[in-house]
Amino acid sequence: MSCVRAFESTIVPSSTFSTSGVHKTAPNRPLVHYPTRPLYTPPLTSTTSLARNILYGPSFRRIASIRCFSALTPELKTTLDKVVTSSKVVLFMKGTKDFPQCGFSNTVVQILRSLNVPFETINILENEMLRQGLKEYSNWPTFPQLYIEGEFFGGCDITVEAYKNGQLQEELEKAMCS
Amino acid sequence: MGSRGATVVLSRANRIKAKLQSVLEATALEIDDVSYQHSGHAAVRETSEGETHFNVKIVSPKFEGQSLVKRHRLVYDALADELQSGLHALSIVAKSPQEAAAKK
Repeated sequence: MSCVRAFESTIVPSSTFSTSGVHKTAPNRPLVHYPTRPLYTPPLTSTTSLARNILYGPSFRRIASIRCFSALTPELKTTLDKVVTSSKVVLFMKGTKDFPQCGFSNTVVQILRSLNVPFETINILENEMLRQGLKEYSNWPTFPQLYIEGEFFGGCDITVEAYKNGQLQEELEKAMCS
Repeated sequence: MGSRGATVVLSRANRIKAKLQSVLEATALEIDDVSYQHSGHAAVRETSEGETHFNVKIVSPKFEGQSLVKRHRLVYDALADELQSGLHALSIVAKSPQEAAAKK
């Protein structure tokens, strides 16, 4: 007897449900359940940048699955166009700004640091497609690769040479002032 | 090791020298194998044969009037085959004959 009464007390009057008039005993549920996966949007902090969002976001990984004889697909080319102009000074290197994994890359990082210019670094070791594509894009077979204002400036030797004769400082000043 | 060694007639340094001399008409060439300086490097560990990193000093009339980037590209283009087959990095000093003479 008592259990019947308990059952009666849980039946909620139909007026509290949606106006469709259908009597539901369960909370509103869609008929088809789609798994909801939020689109990956990394927080835009001061250290993250547009370049990183493009390169490490989900859309880039889909591009990477296209098999191609040339590593430089049109999509990758457009992406690289955006990346090299995303920041005034962009360095494609082995390792990161804080942990370079190659002597040549480290040299360029130290030079840029000593000149106190803000610069973006991309670790090409993390992505083989990017690494090969960049070699074609820049027409340059080795890393590091320094881009100033979207234009390929050179590798380690050229950067060191330009640093010694003042050309690098000139280029960077022009870039910063523009 | 023996059978593989027999098929490689010239060492990489010699091949580089030959290519640069013929393609770029080098008047002066210095090639050093400095792979040992990079032996802890991630890429070198995979191929433990050395001959991955070289210093190249080259003087060629073809470099006259060319920017550094152009000169380096000429060297890289000449050595494209080597770069495909395990050559990992080059440190390049590329001068025109005038610059080389001026330095001395």
